[in-house]
Amino acid sequence: MFKKQVLIECVSSLLIMLFMYASVSKFLDFKMFTGEINNQPLPNSWTPFLVWFIPCSEIAISLLLLFERTRLAGFYVSLVLMSVFTIYAGLILFHVFPYIPCSCGGVIRKLTWPQHLALNLFYVILSILGIILQRRKHFKPIFITKNSFV
Amino acid sequence: MKKIKWMIMTLAIVFSVCAAFATRPKLAGDGQLYHMLSNGAFIAAGTFGVDYFCPDSPNTCTYTFDGAHYWPYMSGDYTPIQ
Repeated sequence: MFKKQVLIECVSSLLIMLFMYASVSKFLDFKMFTGEINNQPLPNSWTPFLVWFIPCSEIAISLLLLFERTRLAGFYVSLVLMSVFTIYAGLILFHVFPYIPCSCGGVIRKLTWPQHLALNLFYVILSILGIILQRRKHFKPIFITKNSFV
Repeated sequence: MKKIKWMIMTLAIVFSVCAAFATRPKLAGDGQLYHMLSNGAFIAAGTFGVDYFCPDSPNTCTYTFDGAHYWPYMSGDYTPIQ
């Protein structure tokens, strides 16, 4: 039980580290981030929404993962967000869009698109692991005995 | 257990915030002028994401100038935004 709890904390910490690093990096160099979003093969009319939605949702996920009561919700939202990023990277690699955007600087940004895909898949798996562990932690098997119906 | 949990979480947050500051691009920032190579001459590139973007390619999209030399900054193909 103790080992399972420590594993949940470690999984949560890894996800928090990813999302906090990503969101703080974006806010620190907001102009560059805006340019990178414009650089993506998406309509530029989406940019004003995406430049705020992406980092704010990353911070929100970090907060959800921080507290025991909201951790399961945090794992689910993390899974959704990382799955969207993974599918997007996959679409780029399969040349679904008219061009492949450049990686453009930073630590995570210095990764190539295949490396990005692998990193995203790792965090998708981590989110799924967190969901399984957190749900098992709260599952209490019900033992039905003769006296249960008395 | 609670102490260990909060210690792990605090370390994770502090580490990630420090890493974000440490890996912040030094060359990028307000007022930084970037150049592009056009017909053998360097000209002002404009603002990334507003005037141009850089689809992925092995070429150099933009350069920075340190007063003496032009250095490759961003990879890709210089593409003006219409």
